[in-house]
Amino acid sequence: MKGYRNYFLNKLLWLLITFFFAFILNFTLPRLMPGDPVAAITARVAQGMSNSTGMKEVYERYAEQFGTNKPILEQFILYVKNVARGNFGASFSQFPRPVGDILKTSIIWTVALQFPAIIVGWLIGNTLGALAAYQKRGFDKLLLPTSIFISSLPAFGMAVIMMTIFGVNLKWFPISGGYGFDLIPSLSWSFVWSVIVHYQLPFWSIVLITIGGQAIGMRSMSIYELNADYVKYSRFLGIKDRKIVGYVFRNAMLPQITGLALSIGTMVGGTLMAEIIFSYPGLGFTLLSGIKGQDYPLISAVTLIITVMVLSANFIIEILYGIIDPRVKAAQTD
Amino acid sequence: MKKLLYVVSVLVIVSMVLAACAAPTATPAPAQSTEAPEAPAQPTEAPAVEEPAQPTEAPVAEEPADPNALPREQTLYYNGLQWSSVVCWNPYSSNCNNAIAIGQNDNSRVPMFETPYLYNMMDGKQYPLLADGPYAWNDAMTEITFKLNAAAKWSDGTPVTADDVAYTWASNIKYNTQAGVANKDYIDTIIAKDPQTVVIKAKLGEDGKAFNPLQVNAYLSSYYVIQKAWTQKLEERTGGDAAAFLADVAEDVVYSGPYHKYFSDDTKVVYIRDDNYWGQDASMWGKLPVPKYLAHMFYKDNAAGTTAMKAGEVDVSQQFNSNVQDLWLKDNLPISTYLAEAPYGVGAQLPTVYYNLASNGLDQVAVRKAIAIAIDYDTIIANAMTNQSATFTQVPRSLMNPTPGEQALFDHDAVKDLQWAGKDIEGAKKLLDDAGIVDSNGDGWREYNGKNLHYTATCPEGWSDWQAAVEVVAAAGKKIGIDIVTAYPDWGVYQTVVTNWPLPEEGYDLFMFWNDGAGPTQPWGRIRKFMSSEFAETTNNWNGNMGGYKNPTADELIKKIPSLTDPAELKAVYTELVEIYLTDVPSFSLMYKPQLFHTVNESVWTNFPHEGDGTNPAVPPLILLDGWGIAGLYNLELVD
Repeated sequence: MKGYRNYFLNKLLWLLITFFFAFILNFTLPRLMPGDPVAAITARVAQGMSNSTGMKEVYERYAEQFGTNKPILEQFILYVKNVARGNFGASFSQFPRPVGDILKTSIIWTVALQFPAIIVGWLIGNTLGALAAYQKRGFDKLLLPTSIFISSLPAFGMAVIMMTIFGVNLKWFPISGGYGFDLIPSLSWSFVWSVIVHYQLPFWSIVLITIGGQAIGMRSMSIYELNADYVKYSRFLGIKDRKIVGYVFRNAMLPQITGLALSIGTMVGGTLMAEIIFSYPGLGFTLLSGIKGQDYPLISAVTLIITVMVLSANFIIEILYGIIDPRVKAAQTD
Repeated sequence: MKKLLYVVSVLVIVSMVLAACAAPTATPAPAQSTEAPEAPAQPTEAPAVEEPAQPTEAPVAEEPADPNALPREQTLYYNGLQWSSVVCWNPYSSNCNNAIAIGQNDNSRVPMFETPYLYNMMDGKQYPLLADGPYAWNDAMTEITFKLNAAAKWSDGTPVTADDVAYTWASNIKYNTQAGVANKDYIDTIIAKDPQTVVIKAKLGEDGKAFNPLQVNAYLSSYYVIQKAWTQKLEERTGGDAAAFLADVAEDVVYSGPYHKYFSDDTKVVYIRDDNYWGQDASMWGKLPVPKYLAHMFYKDNAAGTTAMKAGEVDVSQQFNSNVQDLWLKDNLPISTYLAEAPYGVGAQLPTVYYNLASNGLDQVAVRKAIAIAIDYDTIIANAMTNQSATFTQVPRSLMNPTPGEQALFDHDAVKDLQWAGKDIEGAKKLLDDAGIVDSNGDGWREYNGKNLHYTATCPEGWSDWQAAVEVVAAAGKKIGIDIVTAYPDWGVYQTVVTNWPLPEEGYDLFMFWNDGAGPTQPWGRIRKFMSSEFAETTNNWNGNMGGYKNPTADELIKKIPSLTDPAELKAVYTELVEIYLTDVPSFSLMYKPQLFHTVNESVWTNFPHEGDGTNPAVPPLILLDGWGIAGLYNLELVD
């Protein structure tokens, strides 16, 4: 038990160190972008204003309000204090809207799109990969090149192809938005159905990309395991094929589970392309708007969420590995 | 495992088939009529004309079958105005990102909040909205008086009073709003003489008259009247803190216009008509605006907006649609623009290239003029603007936009010899040769002060029409021995650099910027921003003259204009300014851009403003929202 505790504490320490540096980078990197976000706000406000002293007043007022005229260290301390209280501040690009409010509304769309897409893609990909490894012959010959082709497509490429074929040409699915242009969100059947219909293209564009990579990985792992000594020995002992296949896939699954956890951890950033192409109202689209508008608080908040999710996913995997496979723990604590 | 595969496969197929079977959320019915309305449009009534009261006609009385759906035949859809979520409903704030509800400028946006007058860019006049009859200056030219329409009411049913107007101004000053900051140099105070009479006292110049009567006139059609009682409520809850006052979301705001908030999220914003709107009184419009809802989806870019318009999901498009004529000529869609032929819209703005006069050689008129006359403007207009601009042969360059009102303000013959239409390579070479700016070392580039003339022409990255134009500028330079390269920094960087002096030594020698369109202070306001030295070499300069041009004669003339009343004298001054501008060439325009893009889809609605539609006063092509353009909302008809 002591070994587990040391292993856990070691991992926790590294998690905190990584988080500390990631947090500093989250704050610093957006602010290193060239340009001045307050100037952009002044531009909006300055519409119709022709006196230069007035412009200066407006600029200085916003610089004061956002604290961009303060030293960077002072800004950082203020940021840490606010974040500790769960306050990400007001968005620059959507001022005076609080960043928390923006995240709250968009994260639901992102999770609803990406989480099922990752799970479905992972399930289908692994099933197909395992089947290809086990059945070989024709199925494998078809699946492998197809998977390689699909997984090498960039996410935006797949999204554009799907949009062109199923949205623009066949007109089966709408090509933009999270629900119908003529609806107001409610729990009505027409709204729910509209969400489902709008969901299809971004969903499948993510699923297809996921399937390819997962299938290739699972196929390789399964082939490796199928040729392992324990499989041969099991066959020699006369154990049923069905039973052996069960062992094989369980062993082949371990790296795939790592992949799944990491995919879930990075899902916020992963939806960016699908959300942008399909004008889907999620966090990825919000992040892009934030970057365009040099919206430091918004960028920092979104990247912080990504950081926390990735670090948490990694940490959980490490801990689970330590429990599932004692060799990992042993190797790490030696 | 096989079973799992079968189950998943079946689920996948069923899901796709089911979803595909559904129509993609109420695709609009095919166009019933693809013809632009040929019958003369109902003339828009001049608001001040007294007529017997007419019964209020709610154009479409039926309630929607699905309360969560926006009936297509009751909703007017827009694109190109709003790209992300609406943030607030506070008319004192300039940061609400609420494009349909809030926009105070030369042609103010008035569906929710209203101004005393409406500016009409087609005839340059201001028509009463909350006001009753025309405004009047006193003989001493120190104050303006106007009456409010007795029928004007707030959404809570209380009358709009002179006290509201005065309190709005006082609040604008107290809380340093954009309206206050922009006008405090010109307006001293606004007082309520009686509940219906407003007096605006101008800041006075040395001669004891209004320092700038033009700006005071413009205030009347540019800035909203906001309810005093609601303002006091806002003050109470924000405790007099200016930052909190301006940052308040104002969901409870009281308004006087015909539309207000219905729904808003991260994908769209919808406004609903107030069927108790005061403007249905016979003294104003005599009826309600026709669409019950105004809606705007947020598209990721122009291409997505165009796709939606092609699909019939957008009725009014305020975005640049490249080769707009293809929509009706090739795609056979019931889409049209204000003018049936190129330039399709009424040019009002002059996107302009500024010279950084601190760059080597650009302080020389010969170099500036040589570059300007060598440029192939026809190519810019054909490629960058896809012919959505008049050419400089059709409307020779000056400081004025192509509207007849502005064109009449200067003597065309007097400046004829100074104007150029472009592509004059030989003329440009001669200018440079005559000035002694030649290629003395044979490397192909001319020199000045012993250094090659090497410049960077720039505009923001992704502004594709401007980028295409800048490429043509660079090509012209090379033809006359001036090395012009292009660079496209990110907008965030670009705006920070060009609005502050000094400009960098490299990278911003020729740079593009916009300027004022049509408005009650134009063309004076635009000329001031092109040429006045008050903006030269300043920081936070979003006005103009960013290249640092100074000319005392021009300054004097610009200062003189606002108080001139004699048309002949005004024309002489404007002509002289055009002469100076075309002689000194501190900057030059590349095209004429409409005030707003105004493309309409007549799949569902018809009777949009078009040239020669018979409206009187003519309704301007301002997407049925801005200034007198809102009159278009009262003329719409369903296609059926």
